[in-house]
Amino acid sequence: MITHQDSIHILIADDDEDDRAFFNEAINELKMNSKLTLFKDGKDLMEYLKLPNIKLPHILFLDLNMPFKNGFECLKEIRANNRYKDISIAIYSTSSSEKDIEDTFIEGANIYIKKPNDFTELKKIIKDVVNMNWQFHTSGLNIETFFFSV
Amino acid sequence: MKFLRLYKNSQIFKIALSVAIVIVVYIASMFYSQMKKLDSTVELIANSNETQIELEKLLSVISIYETNLRSYIITKEESYIEDRFLSRGKIEESIKKLKTLTAKTPARNKDIDRLKKIIDYRFKLFRQTLIIAKSKNSGAVHLNAKLLESSDATDMMKSFVTKIVFSESTKTKFQNDNHQFELRDSIITAFLLVILSLLILLLSFNKMNVDIDELRKANDKLKLLNESYNTAEKTAGFGHWMVNLETNVYSFSDNLFRLMGVEPNAFKPNIENSIKYIHPDDLDYVTKVHIDSLLNHQSTSMIFRFLTPNGDIKYIMGVGSFTKDGNGDLIKIGVNYDITNQYKKTLELEENNKELKYINTELEAFNNIVSHDLQEPLRKIQMFISRIEEKELDSLSEQGKEYFSKVRLTANRMQALLIDLVNYSRTIKGDKVFVKTDLNKIIDEILQDLSSNIEEKNAVIQIGELPTINAISFQIKQLFINLISNALKYSKEDVQPQISIATKKITEKDVLNNKTINKEDYYKIVITDNGIGFKQEYAEKIFLLFKRLETDPKYSGTGLGLAICNRIVDNHKGFIKAKGKTDVGSKFSIFFPKGDLL
Repeated sequence: MITHQDSIHILIADDDEDDRAFFNEAINELKMNSKLTLFKDGKDLMEYLKLPNIKLPHILFLDLNMPFKNGFECLKEIRANNRYKDISIAIYSTSSSEKDIEDTFIEGANIYIKKPNDFTELKKIIKDVVNMNWQFHTSGLNIETFFFSV
Repeated sequence: MKFLRLYKNSQIFKIALSVAIVIVVYIASMFYSQMKKLDSTVELIANSNETQIELEKLLSVISIYETNLRSYIITKEESYIEDRFLSRGKIEESIKKLKTLTAKTPARNKDIDRLKKIIDYRFKLFRQTLIIAKSKNSGAVHLNAKLLESSDATDMMKSFVTKIVFSESTKTKFQNDNHQFELRDSIITAFLLVILSLLILLLSFNKMNVDIDELRKANDKLKLLNESYNTAEKTAGFGHWMVNLETNVYSFSDNLFRLMGVEPNAFKPNIENSIKYIHPDDLDYVTKVHIDSLLNHQSTSMIFRFLTPNGDIKYIMGVGSFTKDGNGDLIKIGVNYDITNQYKKTLELEENNKELKYINTELEAFNNIVSHDLQEPLRKIQMFISRIEEKELDSLSEQGKEYFSKVRLTANRMQALLIDLVNYSRTIKGDKVFVKTDLNKIIDEILQDLSSNIEEKNAVIQIGELPTINAISFQIKQLFINLISNALKYSKEDVQPQISIATKKITEKDVLNNKTINKEDYYKIVITDNGIGFKQEYAEKIFLLFKRLETDPKYSGTGLGLAICNRIVDNHKGFIKAKGKTDVGSKFSIFFPKGDLL
């Protein structure tokens, strides 16, 4: 349960440098009490998550199409480990194919975000997702509400 | 007619003929016995006549003898009695003849014996009379007594003979009557025989003629049939063969030889001689299937190859089945069909299919490129555009700002085009799963998806009750998204957009290919708006790919939206019609087949 008193720890794994930059800028502009860690691929992300003494993130934004270890593999690994059960996972991808949406839903992602083509929209998405009542969202989750739309 | 049919029935004809022959034989035998009887009657009559003549002759000889004796007694002239022994011989001869004549009738024979005794007695009297007449001392009294006794004896003899003659003549008369009667009978019988024989002959001849005629006709028909069959085999490229399982004798049709690449009857039809025309790779299989079938009497069907003497390979579809011939012998009949062309075509088709599949995969890859790889850089361009707009726009000159807004519009247009291209290609792809789809639910989803757009345009959307249809769900959603988006997009700037979606009744005005649409078969869903509309003359063109009516930059369009709609409705075996009036609005009617038509 994320409360506003806490500093929100956000991770993003995306191989696209520009997207990471946009994301970083958006978070900065939102001026939220948050801490963002960026990873350039799935391998880096998983190596970080496996470190024993880290504070686990509240939300993970996960790109699907990445080298070395793609988002889907990361998702499976994370959901297979009970240690990470409290991490909310937001798929953050250019793809809006039904197969990707369905597969990630089945594997336990919490929300599916299609990368926007407008910076304002991006900010709105991040804001909405960070402020989301995850417990409420997750309890009523179905394939329709899974796909996030602004 | 019935008679004619009976006449034509050879079984009945055979029976009739044999009955007729039996009758003829019976009549002939009757005739023969009649003739035989007639013959014996004639013989009897002749016999009787001869007997009578011989008896008369006998009497006359006795009379002559008597006369000569009397003449001698009166004249004492020796010459009268010189021939007496001769006469006696004649009588012996006559008696002998009579004996033969009457040999068959014992009673008459006895009569002749008695006559002989009477004649002997008469001659004894002659001798005594002659002796008395010759002796010089005997008196006239004695002679007279002897003459008297002789005369009595002659009378007695005469009356005896007369009695026999009378009896013979009576018999002859009776025989004669009989003869006449039998003769008449025989004539009738003979006549009957001739007529009947003639009749049978005629009938047989006629029947034979008819039969021959029919046989000829049947033969002609058979010839024609055979010829047309041969031609058919030649034209259609098939040949047949037969084997009698009892005699193991094979027969091949002319065209079967041709299929093997040789002239008809080029060799004696049997397995051994055919082997060299079967492709060596198929030989074991073909012989095994054939031999097995001869044992288990199961129908066969196989594809194999003929190898003709000039090296051609023919693909053959061979089927065989069993039947019984007229003698009840089990026969296997096989038909071999030249499928070389089909086979080659199938191969070609398979090749084409492979290529098509390959092209399809390529197309899918291309789709992926369009949908993901092309959109990705475009999206980033748009992101940077939005960044510049937000942070750097003020540092641009007015000209620069205008150019920049055109960059944004163009990028947006490109994005719309890419999305539509992906959507269009998705309507062509083969994997279409039809599920029961509630259109009310679909429209609800769409209104949510388009809510920002609707709010922006301040549009009023009225939704009527919609049916549940068998549909490819994502396509149907795309269809209504496109139509509603269009209605919003092509709305008039100064008028609140009013859009209605509803099920409407099908009327006589709804025609497809000049035929009224049956309201039992289709749902009609109508989407109307009060937008800028279009000229009715473009009502059909708007569904074509990249056909745009509006060139005004404020109405951004890809020219794909309605083409996608048309494609989707087509995928659902329905059709879509547009009606428009410039500055008044447009109306799109979609006809979906009701369940069972899909």
